[in-house]
Amino acid sequence: MSNNTLQIINQLFEIQHKIKELGQAPGFERNFNRLTSIFEEEGFIIQDPTNEIYQDSRTDCEASIVGNVSSKMKITKTLKPIIYKKADNAVQLIQKAVVLVEKN
Amino acid sequence: MRSVNFGIDLGTTNSLIAKYENSKIHVYKNPIGQKETLASVVAYRPDRILVGDKAREYLAKDAVNVFGGFKRKMGTDEKYYVVNIDDNVTPVDLSALVLKELKKFVPPSEPVEAAVITIPASFDSMQSNATIKAGQEAGFTNVFLLQEPIAACLAFFNEGAAKEKANGNWLVYDLGGGTFDVALIKSNQDELKIVDHEGNNFLGGLNFDSAIIDSIVIPEIIKQTGIENFEEEFRVKYGKYEMLYYQVMYYAEEAKKELSHAAATAIEFSAVLDDKNYDFYIPITREEVDRIFLPLVNETIALLNKVLENNRLTATDVNEIILVGGSTFLPQVRAQLAAQTGIPLNYAVDPTTSVAEGAAFYAANKYYEPAAVQTEPGDKIADDILASVDFNPVDLQIDVNYSRSSRDKEEVLLITSSGEMDNKTYRVTRTDGGFDTGFVTLKSKKTEFLPLIPGMNNLFTLNVYDNGGNEILSLKKEISITQGMYNIDGQPLPHDICIEVDDVENKTTKLEAIFDRNSLLPQKRTLYREISKTIKKGSKDSIIINILEGDKNSRASSNLTIGCIEISGKDLQTDLIKGSDIEIQIHLTDSRVLNTVVYLVMSQQEFKNVFSVSEKQINIARLKEQYVQLESELIDTVRDFQYNQDTIWEIKGTALLDDLQTVKEKLFKLKDKDKSDEKYIIAEKITRISKEYDKLGGNERIAALIEEYFHAKDVVLQAISMADFEKEELKKQFTKIEQSESSFIHSKNVSVVENKLKQLNDLYWKALSNTTSFLITRFIEYKNCSGDEFKDYNAAKSIMKMADAALEKERYPEFRRYVFSISALLRVTRINHNIDFKGTGIG
Repeated sequence: MSNNTLQIINQLFEIQHKIKELGQAPGFERNFNRLTSIFEEEGFIIQDPTNEIYQDSRTDCEASIVGNVSSKMKITKTLKPIIYKKADNAVQLIQKAVVLVEKN
Repeated sequence: MRSVNFGIDLGTTNSLIAKYENSKIHVYKNPIGQKETLASVVAYRPDRILVGDKAREYLAKDAVNVFGGFKRKMGTDEKYYVVNIDDNVTPVDLSALVLKELKKFVPPSEPVEAAVITIPASFDSMQSNATIKAGQEAGFTNVFLLQEPIAACLAFFNEGAAKEKANGNWLVYDLGGGTFDVALIKSNQDELKIVDHEGNNFLGGLNFDSAIIDSIVIPEIIKQTGIENFEEEFRVKYGKYEMLYYQVMYYAEEAKKELSHAAATAIEFSAVLDDKNYDFYIPITREEVDRIFLPLVNETIALLNKVLENNRLTATDVNEIILVGGSTFLPQVRAQLAAQTGIPLNYAVDPTTSVAEGAAFYAANKYYEPAAVQTEPGDKIADDILASVDFNPVDLQIDVNYSRSSRDKEEVLLITSSGEMDNKTYRVTRTDGGFDTGFVTLKSKKTEFLPLIPGMNNLFTLNVYDNGGNEILSLKKEISITQGMYNIDGQPLPHDICIEVDDVENKTTKLEAIFDRNSLLPQKRTLYREISKTIKKGSKDSIIINILEGDKNSRASSNLTIGCIEISGKDLQTDLIKGSDIEIQIHLTDSRVLNTVVYLVMSQQEFKNVFSVSEKQINIARLKEQYVQLESELIDTVRDFQYNQDTIWEIKGTALLDDLQTVKEKLFKLKDKDKSDEKYIIAEKITRISKEYDKLGGNERIAALIEEYFHAKDVVLQAISMADFEKEELKKQFTKIEQSESSFIHSKNVSVVENKLKQLNDLYWKALSNTTSFLITRFIEYKNCSGDEFKDYNAAKSIMKMADAALEKERYPEFRRYVFSISALLRVTRINHNIDFKGTGIG
């Protein structure tokens, strides 16, 4: 698996979010689904953990904590997605997400 | 006596462990996250201890429970009060936890009893002894110390990367994530000695990121927003710009990395500042960061010069500067060091791992007496008996309860313990690296919520550790939870659900699985395919989306059609060009209702259909083609039986053929929009005969096909070994066929085995067409063909001339391209019963 593939997935993720912020996501949804499907066929599993609960046992994320630490925390922004790669019926984490977390 | 072999770089910011084995150094990776470095940070969370990157996340926010940089306090009487455990911990305790975590990088099959641990050149006796104590607390029976600059030199010398192993002076320049050290080393043939050193405990990679933010990002934000006190507010802990601060820190680090190999980059982000939305685009050039980083690099060079001056040395007295630490990757650091000192730089060994590597080299020549008494050869039998018994020296039992399948995103794990639990810990990790509980104190009952990756079998491991951090192997548990499958809540599919797509080359169709047998309902998937023929707007041509239930390896006619959509030229708003995209979304509900959404990208049209699986779906045009295919296969098979004098099977085959042909006339008279039941009767008959055809010839036919398959495999393998082009790709395709071997052989389905044989045959021709000697033979044959055999003889002749020239000059890749082009110009003479093949229109 080349590092370039990860770079492309990260760029895709970033573009997707920018378009969403601009309010133009529906027009591009089909294209993004298509691109995601291509990567999935290559064995990549891409996950956006935004809005998921954050716990210190989540080693699939590198988190920066905004505000106070709490027992109930939530991922509020994702700068890089989680990427797994499937190989021989097993999965391996190949990129941790870079996220910001806040008190839920 | 045993060689120590393990070397540990116990760093202020990051730590590593390496081993010397078979004349090579192996730097271990963290099984969680696969990184070689471990952040030297410990976090005491309410019910567990975290060590490493996870702990570092809490460093800035939970200072009363999270500790980093404690290496600087080694050998002092400093104690840290930990609120979460209501107790004090010392720098030795914290270092021991880092060392214990590093031991976990090494597989249990390689026990780590002794190690060489590196220490800074500045460490005095108290600090050195504190490091030994930390090693002992971590469970090492023997600890040896080595100074970090010496370790770095050893790595360079032993890897053969240093200029010469001659007498002389060397400078070790160590710029890490948060600290800087420079040491002067004197060497002779046998000895390395630290003569002098200087350092700054608060200068490292983070300062470079901050410099980008201070000098470029903050001024730009102020310029665009006009917020007066932004700079002061920006870095305030828990302040209103805190979220932006972490975002910008990440982008600054990314920009720094990008500028290590690019002349320019940009930081881009959106932010809401004081209730107003801003989009920032901040271009940054290499020249700018060179200027910004200069004061920081100058600070390190000033310390380096101080070492030289103190020892009355000039640049010419130093052989090389050895670069250590991740921040020495920065081009600005290397350029300024080389320009300002004039001393040659050496960065041949990875600067992030060189200290650990050097420690491992040193460890290879250090010996210790193992704690366990070595057994005599005569005791081997007794050892074998003991090894075969589940011997648990600990009076402790662990039970785990969990659901082996789940449709939820997480699953509860209940850990029940009984017996001697004092000071023992457990840890649950997911094998892909995405989950780690850290060390949790063992209690009679504990629960953990295990996050699951959707649609996968998630494997977890539970390990139990004693007081010394040593794993109690007999208590290890493997936990396997399958997400989204085989759950009693959902109905499993009894057969594969497939789509019929064109095999244009062979003028037939094939099945492609959408959902595999035993997948749990509901299921949803989008297929992306291309249109395999041009369909004019308003024409009678059509695309047929035929969804079937049955065996994905058999032919379409043996399966039951559960949904069929025909989109004809009359439905189109524009022409559909061959190769344009089609998206087919298929959703099979819990109650087996099939919903399809077909989207034609070129005409931007969407077609939605809902099928109840209780209604049969028949497309007459497709049925006619299926008939033709089945009839031709039956004719060929009956001929084979005749040839092999299999009289019984010949009679049965002929009977099937006759039976099939009874519907021929009726079928070909049916109009496409026939509303009668006739099409259902014919379709059922074709399906029945197709299934019977699969059994024709009995086990002997299957056995013969399997034998043929294995023979073909040998031939294909031989052909691949002789291929001159695309060998790796061919091998990959071969392995793919081979991997499914056991399943299709056990299927005992003739179509399935025939299909695999066909794939092997295709691969054989592909291998030949990538073999120069075969291409030459083919080329000679083409040259001997008459003009009538080509679609455009003049074009073929001119390509033949170019091919001749390429062959003469031994330009084989070029020659291969020409042979392919000539072959494309040949008139196709393939015999196929399905001459008017229209197919589904989906490629």
